[in-house]
Amino acid sequence: MSEPWWISAIKGFVIINIVLLTFAYTTLLERKALGRMQLRYGPNRAGPYGLLQPIADLVKLVRKESFFPTAAIDIPYILAPVVSAFTALAAFAVIPFGNGWNIWRYHVNGVVANVPISLILVFALGSIGIYGFIVGGWASESKYSLLGSMRTCAQLVSYEVSLALSVLGVVITAGSLSLVDIVHNQAHSLWYVVPQAVGFLVFLISGVAETSRAPFDLPEAEQELVAGYHTEYSGMRWGLFQMAEYVNMITLSGLAITLFLGGWHFPFAHGVDFLGPLWFFLKLLALLFVFIWLRATLPRLRYDQLMSFGWKILLPVATVNALITALVVVWAN
Amino acid sequence: MLDNWLPFLIYGLFAAAIPTSMIVMSFVFATRPKRRTRARGIPFESGVSTGPLRRQRFTISFYLTAMLFIVFDIEIVFLYPLGVVLHQLAWFGFAEFAFFLLILLIAYVYVWRKGALEWQ
Repeated sequence: MSEPWWISAIKGFVIINIVLLTFAYTTLLERKALGRMQLRYGPNRAGPYGLLQPIADLVKLVRKESFFPTAAIDIPYILAPVVSAFTALAAFAVIPFGNGWNIWRYHVNGVVANVPISLILVFALGSIGIYGFIVGGWASESKYSLLGSMRTCAQLVSYEVSLALSVLGVVITAGSLSLVDIVHNQAHSLWYVVPQAVGFLVFLISGVAETSRAPFDLPEAEQELVAGYHTEYSGMRWGLFQMAEYVNMITLSGLAITLFLGGWHFPFAHGVDFLGPLWFFLKLLALLFVFIWLRATLPRLRYDQLMSFGWKILLPVATVNALITALVVVWAN
Repeated sequence: MLDNWLPFLIYGLFAAAIPTSMIVMSFVFATRPKRRTRARGIPFESGVSTGPLRRQRFTISFYLTAMLFIVFDIEIVFLYPLGVVLHQLAWFGFAEFAFFLLILLIAYVYVWRKGALEWQ
């Protein structure tokens, strides 16, 4: 069921803009929700309820002086945020958001790129994104940037192991690496969040660490490191790093929905599956709110706690979960 | 096969074009500083200026973490294909799976006892 290339192009263009719009309004949602949780209003000047705030932010970032530290190494310094933002955006291509529709005489798939190894592709792009953070911190030639980027790198590679292992249970149960297949497998059975509850928990915790969000926001611990790897960045280049962080968060939530929460399916009913993107979006909003809620609630970890938690607790738990899943799957066969 | 990847390529072009255009925009529309002083360009150090930071030493823990990552990431690279075909391989596949994890467990216990998982 392949579609002509121009449909893919139009769909890709629409989806990438929706992702960017979701990113822009997630920043507003975050500031609003954090504000309410701290008994204040949050942004409310730009437009009604502050709804134009993301646009005002964009204009401000573009208009800001493109500051350039004397010591910085030119090309990596400029390219690093582009690499981070590119990998973050590209990973969303393989997340399925619908069943596909027949419009006139064309079939439109419910995913931008239906590749057979989509799960590996998401992780691979995530790993390349780390280069953006470490090169950016190194190329700005500042103490805080360098320390921040080293911390970021160590944290991200540590939690990537548990992240990938926690998904192994789902891969074994579904017998496929294609996200489209994994969603289809959940259509007429329990969502994988029930049999893979431990995997889901580990995935969520390592996911929060992978996107370096609170309580794992050590890379940006402002009391110790000013702002971490992007201390020397300002204007739109800083904006691209922020974009990478938030889009990673969106992609990771999308991945959690796809792997564990039934993707674009509505619970227990299949009559409304043609509205897949709507259900997907609602689940996405719920997960994004969880991310924000965690930030408002939990204090930051210490660095040694963070490392030992990742290597000594999450990694064994994820491995044992995969082993038990393998045993159950083979037994049931 | 290649049909599957064409949409990804198109989407990847968009994903590359958007950050690049934003960088270009930030060069074109950015405000210029009225005058340039030397102090503007030095790294942020809370007002204290230090020389460039070329030969700084780093704690060995960072390198250790990187090495551990490579070991355990290879574990994942092996386990993913096995997980996909576990339905067909049945008990043979599970024995392979368990044996592989057993070897890994020995390495893991060794690393733990050596204290490589402590952050110093």
